[in-house]
Amino acid sequence: MFRSNKAGWFFILPAFVFLGLFKIVPIGVSVLESLRQTTYSGRSYFVGFENYVYLFFDDPAFWDSFWITLFYSLIVNPVIIIVALAMALLLNENHFFTKFFRTVFFLPTAISFAVVSVIWSVVLDPYYGLANSFLTLFGLPAQPFFASTAQALGCLVFLNVWRSAGYWMMYFIAGLQNIPDTLYQAADIDGASAWKKTWKITLPLLSRTFSFVLVANTAFNFLTFAPVYIITKGGPRGSTNLLMYESYKSAFVNLDMGRASAITTILLGIILVFSLFELKWTKAGFEY
Amino acid sequence: MKSYKKTFALTAEFAILAAISMFFILPILWIIASALRPSGPLYTYANPLTLQTFFPVSITFDNFIHIFEHLQFGRALFNSLLVAGSTIVISVLICSMAGFGLAKFTFRGKNLFFIIVLITFMVPFESIVIPLFVLIRRLKIDNTYFALILPAAGNGLAIFLFRQFFSEVPTEILEAARIDGASWTRIYRKIILPLSIPAIVTVIVMVFMFQWNSLFWPLIATHSSRFEVVQVAIASHRATEDTSWANLFSSAIAGSMPPIFLFLFLQKYFVRGISGTGLKG
Repeated sequence: MFRSNKAGWFFILPAFVFLGLFKIVPIGVSVLESLRQTTYSGRSYFVGFENYVYLFFDDPAFWDSFWITLFYSLIVNPVIIIVALAMALLLNENHFFTKFFRTVFFLPTAISFAVVSVIWSVVLDPYYGLANSFLTLFGLPAQPFFASTAQALGCLVFLNVWRSAGYWMMYFIAGLQNIPDTLYQAADIDGASAWKKTWKITLPLLSRTFSFVLVANTAFNFLTFAPVYIITKGGPRGSTNLLMYESYKSAFVNLDMGRASAITTILLGIILVFSLFELKWTKAGFEY
Repeated sequence: MKSYKKTFALTAEFAILAAISMFFILPILWIIASALRPSGPLYTYANPLTLQTFFPVSITFDNFIHIFEHLQFGRALFNSLLVAGSTIVISVLICSMAGFGLAKFTFRGKNLFFIIVLITFMVPFESIVIPLFVLIRRLKIDNTYFALILPAAGNGLAIFLFRQFFSEVPTEILEAARIDGASWTRIYRKIILPLSIPAIVTVIVMVFMFQWNSLFWPLIATHSSRFEVVQVAIASHRATEDTSWANLFSSAIAGSMPPIFLFLFLQKYFVRGISGTGLKG
C-alpha cells in the first residue's frame, strides 16, 4: 500500500464521478421526484408526501400490483435457487458429459430477456405453441398459459427460472469447487452417506455463496420488466402487473412522474429491507 | 458389483440432465428452424410434432435478408455495437484505474468511495432507470448516444474485479519502478494494464453482455429510431398489432448471435467474472 492522497484520488476520480452522477444521484432524484408532482404543461411543484398518501390510501391499482409483485417474488426466488443448486450439485463432479450440460444450462445467460420473452411467448402460445404440442402428444389437455389469469404469473416464474437458474448455478459451482476435498475424504472414512455429506458438509460450507445469490437474485427479480412489457403488458386482467411495469406505465403512459418515482422509491426500500433480512437470516441459519 | 452400481447412478444422472436440457435445446431449435423456413404460417410444423418441427426441409435466408433490407435491423446492430464498444472503452479505463487506486493506495476518502461502490452493488441498474431518465433529461442528453453509454460506464462489479486482480500484483515491483523514477501514470500504463489482460477481457465480456442485452433503459432514454438498439428493435416487432413472426424470429436470432458467439468462445471469462469477485464458499 502506498500512502498518497493525490495519486489515490487521481486514479479513482473518473469512476467516482461516473458512479456518483449516474448511480448515487438518481437515488436522490428518485426520492426528491417522489415528493413532487408534474402538471401536463410540464411544470413541477413540491407536494410533500402526497404521492405516497395517495398510493397507500386511494390507489387500489398500486396495491394489486404490490401484492402480485410480492407473491411473484416469494415464489420465483426459492424456485430459481433450488433449481440452480440442484443443477450445480448434479454438475459438480467431472464426468465426460459435465462440461456440455454446464454450457447448455448456462447458455440462456447469453440470451437477452427480450429474446427469452419472444421465445417463450411463442412456445407457450395457447393455440399453436410447442408446449401444447408436447402436452397433446402425451395425451394431456392443452393449456392457455399467458392467456389465463390463473397461469400467466406461473409462466412468468417459469420464464425467469429458465433464464436465470443456469447463471446462479455457476455461482454455486464456483462455491462448490472451493470446498476442500479433504472434508469429503474424512467423511468417507467415517462412512457417511452421500445424502449426509450433502447436508452436513456441502450446504453449510456453501452458505456465503448462498447468501450472495439469494440477495442478488431477490433484488433482480423485484425488477422484472422485459417479459411483462413484451408478452403480457401486465395482463390478463392485471395478473402479471408487476411494480416495475406499473411504475413504467405511470411515468411514460400516464406521464405521472411523481407516482412513478414514489413507486420506484418504495421498490428500492423493499429491496433494501429484503436484502438486510436475507443477510441476517442466512447468517443465523447457516453459520457453523 | 460396486462398479455396476456406479454405472447405473451415472446413467441415471445423465438421463436426468438430458431431460432437463431438452427444455433449453428444443425451444431454441424450434425458433431457429422456424426462422429458416420460407415465411408462411409460422406454426405449420408445430402440431403435430414431427422431425420437421425442429429441422427445416427447405432452408432459406429470406427472412433475415428482409429485416436487414426493409426494417433497418443493420442500423440497430450498428447502434448496439457502437454503444457497447464505447461503454467498454470508458468502463475498462475508469474501472481499472479505480481498481488500482483501491488496491494499492491509502488516501483520505477511500472509505467513502468504497461505500459508493458497495451501494452501486446493492442497487441494481433497473431500479434507478426512471429517476435516471429525469436526470439525463435535465442534463439535456436524453435521446442521444451519450444517454445510452455514460450511465453504464461506471461499474461497481468491474471495479471490484480489478481491485481483486491488482492486489495480487506484488507491491515490490511497483516500489522498484518508483525508485527508478517512473510516474504513477507510467506505472499504470506500462506495468498494471499489461498484467491485467485477463481481468480486462472479463470486464469486456461483462459490459458487452450488459449493454447488448439491455432493453428497459434504451427504451426510455431514446425515442428516435436513429438510436434504436437491437433489443428495442426486437421488442418492437412483438409490440405491433399484427406481429410478423418471421421478422420477430429472425431479428431475435440475428440479435442473439454476437453474445452467443462471445459466450461460446470466452466462456471461461464469464465464469471468471463470477468466481473472481472474491466470492468464496
